[in-house]
Amino acid sequence: MIQLNPAEIKNQRRLVIVWSITFLIAFPLLIVLGLLMRLNQGEEIKLGIDTFYVLMTLHGLGMAGVLYSMAFAGLWYLISTRYVRLSVATGYVVYFLILAGVTGLAYATLLGKFGAGWYLLYPLPFKGTFWPTWSTGLSIISLTVLGVAWIIGLVHVVYALSKEFGGFTNLLGWQYLGKKEIKRELPPIVMITTISLIPGLIAFLAGAVFLIMNLMQYFEPTLAFDTLLLKNLVFFFGHTLVNITLYCCLGWVYALLPEFTGREWKTNKVLVYSWNATFFFILFAYFHHLYMDFVQPLPFQYAGQIASFSSAIPATAITMFGVITQLYHSKIKWGIVPLMFLLGVAGWAIGGFAAVVDSTIAVNAVLHNTLWVPAHFHTYMLGGVVLFILGFLFYLSHTKEEQEKDKTAKFGFWLFVIGTHSFIATFYSGGLRSIPRRYNDYSGIPIEATHSMGAFLARLALIGIILLLIGLMVMYISILIKLGKKNNTTVIQAAEA
Amino acid sequence: MLPFNTLLTIQRTAAITSFLAGALVVAVVIFLITTSSTSEDKTSVKHKVYKLRGRYFFVLTLCVIAGLFISLRLLPYTKFQEKPDEIVTIVAMQWAWKMAPGISDKSPADFEGSNEITLPAGRHIQFNVTSSDVNHDFAIYNSKGVLIAQTQAMPQYHNKLEHYFSEKGDYHILCLEYCGMPHAFMVGIIHIN
Ligand code: HEM
Ligand SMILES: [Cu+2]
Repeated sequence: MIQLNPAEIKNQRRLVIVWSITFLIAFPLLIVLGLLMRLNQGEEIKLGIDTFYVLMTLHGLGMAGVLYSMAFAGLWYLISTRYVRLSVATGYVVYFLILAGVTGLAYATLLGKFGAGWYLLYPLPFKGTFWPTWSTGLSIISLTVLGVAWIIGLVHVVYALSKEFGGFTNLLGWQYLGKKEIKRELPPIVMITTISLIPGLIAFLAGAVFLIMNLMQYFEPTLAFDTLLLKNLVFFFGHTLVNITLYCCLGWVYALLPEFTGREWKTNKVLVYSWNATFFFILFAYFHHLYMDFVQPLPFQYAGQIASFSSAIPATAITMFGVITQLYHSKIKWGIVPLMFLLGVAGWAIGGFAAVVDSTIAVNAVLHNTLWVPAHFHTYMLGGVVLFILGFLFYLSHTKEEQEKDKTAKFGFWLFVIGTHSFIATFYSGGLRSIPRRYNDYSGIPIEATHSMGAFLARLALIGIILLLIGLMVMYISILIKLGKKNNTTVIQAAEA
Repeated sequence: MLPFNTLLTIQRTAAITSFLAGALVVAVVIFLITTSSTSEDKTSVKHKVYKLRGRYFFVLTLCVIAGLFISLRLLPYTKFQEKPDEIVTIVAMQWAWKMAPGISDKSPADFEGSNEITLPAGRHIQFNVTSSDVNHDFAIYNSKGVLIAQTQAMPQYHNKLEHYFSEKGDYHILCLEYCGMPHAFMVGIIHIN
């Protein structure tokens, strides 16, 4: 356990507040881009086709980047104030690098019109583009900067933890599998951090290779890399990034929920087995993005489906049952923080189930690249990750009593949840109706029923989006009023004590 | 061979199972919220929940294994298909489909074909799909707008998609991989008679 002096805690708290404010600004802006896209698909407004894809690219990259960064920043704060000293300076280096990367991307998209989509599927950024080549270059470089920042951050955290807990395998909880007595308890958040960040590291390295190859292509247009290889690399990177964003948040759900239920949530053998299994599922599940690449070796296709199906076992049997054990007959007071965590887990469950459905190869044949895909990951992100993050922000800004009493915020919360799920329902329905994803609008589809259904669902989505935006603004007021003011939650009782 | 003629059922099955799963999640949430005012000792709760968890684990594992066992035989890949009666070459390009019967020995860029093609019903047709520039996705929609089969069209590779058209009519080809600005307008048509 660490002894931190108040000044250090204050510094870490300032860092996380900087992060939070950045998140709170960027998030609604990116939502507005989503709103514009849906309006365009509903034929309510008329964006140029190029503008649509520029917005789509910025929205996708921005959301994925901002949510992962915020999830990481939350973990950083909890770890640095409870378990091990982390360098604030490194924290700011990571922050400013990410800021630089995001600025670069915003510039490349909004001004440079870069519009290759968030996974810039090779060789799309180099062929038949509607944007100048410099914006491709700037995008690749900005993404590289982001990758470097994320790698610096996670290596710092994992290294510090591993020193503190006596070695890397201890972070994976392997000491619980032997017969020896446990000298130092391993908090679940530390194990989950490690199990998210190590696949993260591997994925970022794959992303780096992908980016370097793209950069080479950029400088030497005659090159031609293997398209299947680059597709594997980029989906390994992208899938893992999104996947671990949620797992990072689960880390703090394990750490914080017990503070509200008064029931401890400790590491044991079963938890270690299940999270170590998850480690492999994270690495192999990404193959489900390449089912429709029939030339991909068959064993990989099998691996994708097996890993995707299996990941449901630890996720539900361990984490979700863990949440049930925490909450059932707990006499908990339903403040906004535990509500967020519970509903976040529910969103994760629903989005996860939809993902498992789509990761069945036979089903993927008719759902791949329909609106089912954004449906499932918006559930997972907006209905899961975002709630975990907002829950964390309420934890950060409110005392336990305040978050119980804050009726307005709770009202905003329910609006947000209802809005989110109604908005996403239009994506699910679209997927089931075979509406393609990534269409600026559906007017080019020669089947009239499909065209009109697509446009109708897009208009319907507005109701949900407006509800969720109102809910979000209501919660914002509550968070922003309190965030800067108090240091109430910095009275840290290291959870292990 | 996928039961393509019953494909609506695949989408419907997905809809129904997902809906039920969603309803179960909502029910659990409501249950947890409404029962939480009671207080019970942690050990006794743990005991109860773990017992349930044991059963759940067992049932879920069985479901996963059964699900894998059944669904991993219904794959769209060549190895799982009949011997084709007919082969059609498909080359995707920014932003059109080039389709022509037979196997082509030309490079994708030089290959000539049309956005519109006529094929017979009641035969196993193999689409030999590639691309001359970026990634596209060759997706077949029936006249009711139901997506019935697809494969990626990628440069450097040939994906072999087999389909048995049992019904006559017009089938549309849409592109399902973002390939640049007119991606949503890259359509083709297959007449089956
Ligand atoms: C109210 C909030 C949101 C709205 C209205 C919204 C709307 C949209 C729309 C309309 C699309 C294009 C769908 C298509 O036709 O393919 C999209 C794509 C996407 N969204 Fe959202 N979204 C929201 C929140 C989020 C969040 C929280 C994330 C977090 C990761 C996210 C990540 C993405 C990504 C990665 C894409 C894919 C972009 C691409 O295909 O390149 N969105 N969103
Ligand atoms: Cu396309």
